[in-house]
Amino acid sequence: MTRELNLTDIQGNVTRAYGRYSFPFARYFFFHIEDPAAGRAFVDEVRKKVTTAARWGEDLPRPDCTTNIAFTFMGLWMLELPVRTLQGMPDVFAEGMKARAFVLGDRDQTQTQKEAEEEDWDAKWDPLWQDNREAGSGGKNDVHLWVSLNAQLAEPFGMNPHPELEERTKWLMGLCDDKGVRLLARNGPKGDQPYQDASAVFDDLDGAVVPTPKEHFGFTDGIGNPVFEGQYPKEAEKVAVIGRGKRMGKGWEPLATGEFILGHPDESQELPPTSMPPEFMHNGTFFAYRKLHENVGSFNEVLEEEAEAYAATMGVGKEQARETLMASMCGRWSDGVPMALVPTYDEWIKFGQERRFRGEGVEPLEGYKNQLTYIASPEASDFRFADDMAGLKCPGGAHLRRVNTRDYMDPLNAFGVDQKTGTQPANKNAATALNKRRRILRRGLPYGGPAWEEKTDKTEQGVIMIIMGTSLFRQFEFVQQQWIQYGLDFHQGNNTCPLLGNHDHHKRHTIPADPSTGKPTYVMSKLKTFVECRGGDYFFVPSMTALRMIAMGIVDPT
Amino acid sequence: MADLDTGHIFLTTLAPIKQGVPPDNSAASYEQKVRIALARLPTAQQSPATEDSKFNSPFARNLRNHFCRMFVLNDVVYNGRDGSGALVNTVKGVNTINPLHVDELKNPYLVFCADVDAITEDHEKLPTDLSPSRQKAVRSAYARELWDTMGEELADLYGNCVGFDDVKTADDFATYLNRCHVETTMPYHDYYLKLPQFHILPFKPLLAAVLIPLAVGLLSLLLWLFGMSTLPLVGWPSLATGLIALVLTVVAFVFSVNFAIKNGEKPLAPGKYDDLPSVLKALYIQQKFADFVVDTQGKPDADLHNAFGDFLAQHAPADVTGPRQKAGVISSAKPENIHQKA
Repeated sequence: MTRELNLTDIQGNVTRAYGRYSFPFARYFFFHIEDPAAGRAFVDEVRKKVTTAARWGEDLPRPDCTTNIAFTFMGLWMLELPVRTLQGMPDVFAEGMKARAFVLGDRDQTQTQKEAEEEDWDAKWDPLWQDNREAGSGGKNDVHLWVSLNAQLAEPFGMNPHPELEERTKWLMGLCDDKGVRLLARNGPKGDQPYQDASAVFDDLDGAVVPTPKEHFGFTDGIGNPVFEGQYPKEAEKVAVIGRGKRMGKGWEPLATGEFILGHPDESQELPPTSMPPEFMHNGTFFAYRKLHENVGSFNEVLEEEAEAYAATMGVGKEQARETLMASMCGRWSDGVPMALVPTYDEWIKFGQERRFRGEGVEPLEGYKNQLTYIASPEASDFRFADDMAGLKCPGGAHLRRVNTRDYMDPLNAFGVDQKTGTQPANKNAATALNKRRRILRRGLPYGGPAWEEKTDKTEQGVIMIIMGTSLFRQFEFVQQQWIQYGLDFHQGNNTCPLLGNHDHHKRHTIPADPSTGKPTYVMSKLKTFVECRGGDYFFVPSMTALRMIAMGIVDPT
Repeated sequence: MADLDTGHIFLTTLAPIKQGVPPDNSAASYEQKVRIALARLPTAQQSPATEDSKFNSPFARNLRNHFCRMFVLNDVVYNGRDGSGALVNTVKGVNTINPLHVDELKNPYLVFCADVDAITEDHEKLPTDLSPSRQKAVRSAYARELWDTMGEELADLYGNCVGFDDVKTADDFATYLNRCHVETTMPYHDYYLKLPQFHILPFKPLLAAVLIPLAVGLLSLLLWLFGMSTLPLVGWPSLATGLIALVLTVVAFVFSVNFAIKNGEKPLAPGKYDDLPSVLKALYIQQKFADFVVDTQGKPDADLHNAFGDFLAQHAPADVTGPRQKAGVISSAKPENIHQKA
């Protein structure tokens, strides 16, 4: 039943989040094509080094450094793809991410376009992204090509990437010149970086320096990526799918391939729309590249203030207040344990000790390894929300419940809380029908300094988010607009995602209390915008066949 | 009648637009003039572009309509040639090279649809069921309300429609809109807090009412065919019993189908807070109560008790006449968006 995919035709970053496969470093390069023929020659050089989805094993060792390539709509235009092929591309991809700022909440949604432009709404974006698709510029600094290099560690317990990363960087930059394909070396807030650097957040565990699965606020990230048909070998799929597929009455099943790879049937049993010729987009996909800055200073200040109020209101200690608030914003405790399974602070402390993440006699490095094993296990993903409609275990507005609603949205779910015991309807047959068309693959890595460095709003740190799917509009943009920047589907009114949402106007997050505890509901009310977009765009990730067609200039829609 | 459901009238009206160009040698046809009048109607103050606009939607001037839509239907959509099988065509001798008749409307229509509280006076209780004449009274009352609150805009729009020239008063407009009325076949409702009692079809009894006489009829006729002129045990004549049972089957079938249709047509009861003033009040209270919760969070019991007393006095949650959110605005944050009790 499981689909056999032509893995050597699919780019490797589609099936793998490299960060989870021992590649803690990445460099993202952006290019502008001055001359179409030179552009095709450039693609031809790069495609020979592209890492495919072919499975690593004895025959095919894991590379030291991976390479992948993707194109903006303007990039495809500059490569002289036929108009008939271009006009079949999705409208949001053609428009690009900057034009979608109002929909995405990347600019103040209470302003008109004119007001936003007068205020220069993208002034905080990296110069690279300010210049991209700039009205009136004639497209002279548009981003056309994206190339990513991901690298393994040079040696364990260090912070150096494998030397191959630097080798390949030199090779890639050597392919450029000002007349053919120009490197847009305007990354970073000052626009002085040749590429966007990214790496896992490193930490020092009693002398052992290791890459952690955390982002800069301190949350464990990237746990529940969706699993689709053909992504894993059959046996591995049975385990991987738990908590990460769909539930339609037959237990956990992988999502349809067509949700993530073009040219295959999707969850509505249709082929996702593609341009002509069909083989050009077959085995390709789209992603949104988003540089998301993290205001660590604001986050810590707000958390401090709210934790004080929470501690006083609920009669608990400051540390408990801080950890509980963090978890209630995210939906997972800071070590990645889901609130849906371990709802209270005391249970969480106990859980961490039992699993030897921390506690007496647990060396930091051992705790770290145990935590890594846990978050990679199905246990960390195997939970539901339909048995907690009121959000007593995990608040309804928490980040996790917004980005992957699981079975919460089943219209037949029963609501209700027993006021004496706090019990809720189990809704055992709840399905994920209203969620399975809104799933996204998350690729990318954090950027910024190691965990021991002091961070503020001004220092440079955040996450390079790469959000993949066959429909940017139906998947990424819907989740961003309706579930992150709005709360109606979760009975949260206008409240936005406590972590990723814009909090210029809506600053609240409600944490319902189990009535059997006798404690009141707590409302966080001082949220600031903790995560800000600093630029990005929409990209098409072609298959190896399509890359060859582009390079040879033979994309023929007839 | 599906016009009435859940205490609301789901109104659909089609007014034929005059053909051609007005006699004043206008450059625009009547249809274009309707489109221009529609484009000039202000939209509600519910988006960044209109929130601070001087004008609100004219439909925000009444307290009856929840949603409404007005548009020009210039023709029926052509779906292409009627499909038919190649074999059928051959048998019937249809030559598919000849074009089929293409349906078209004689003139364009101004369509107006609205979801309206089924009442004749503001603040009346929403009804569960209404006779056709009472429904007509509700439609007329809404038309008069529209005329009294946005007569100028209506004249601009409907002035381009057939039969509107003699409309001078609210009653005239009610009569006019009634002439344009067509039945709504698919109303849609989205305000239930608690689902109402649905009119569940007694499917099994209905099925039995049809199948039992059918079985008796067929069995009797079968026995008769085998030469049994009377039925065993009861001793009735087989042929007569069989025929009567089959007639009963037909009667039961017709009755069941009619019963199912009538059952489906029965309107559902209104939700508890389904009328527009209650909705506006709820929006207002929701916002004010959320503020209240944040403002009093962590306060000692006595202070909270007092503050809640003040809240009740200031916001009067049970009084839908005010204070409440005004119609056609996005939130109650600005004082000018709040309707205070007269």
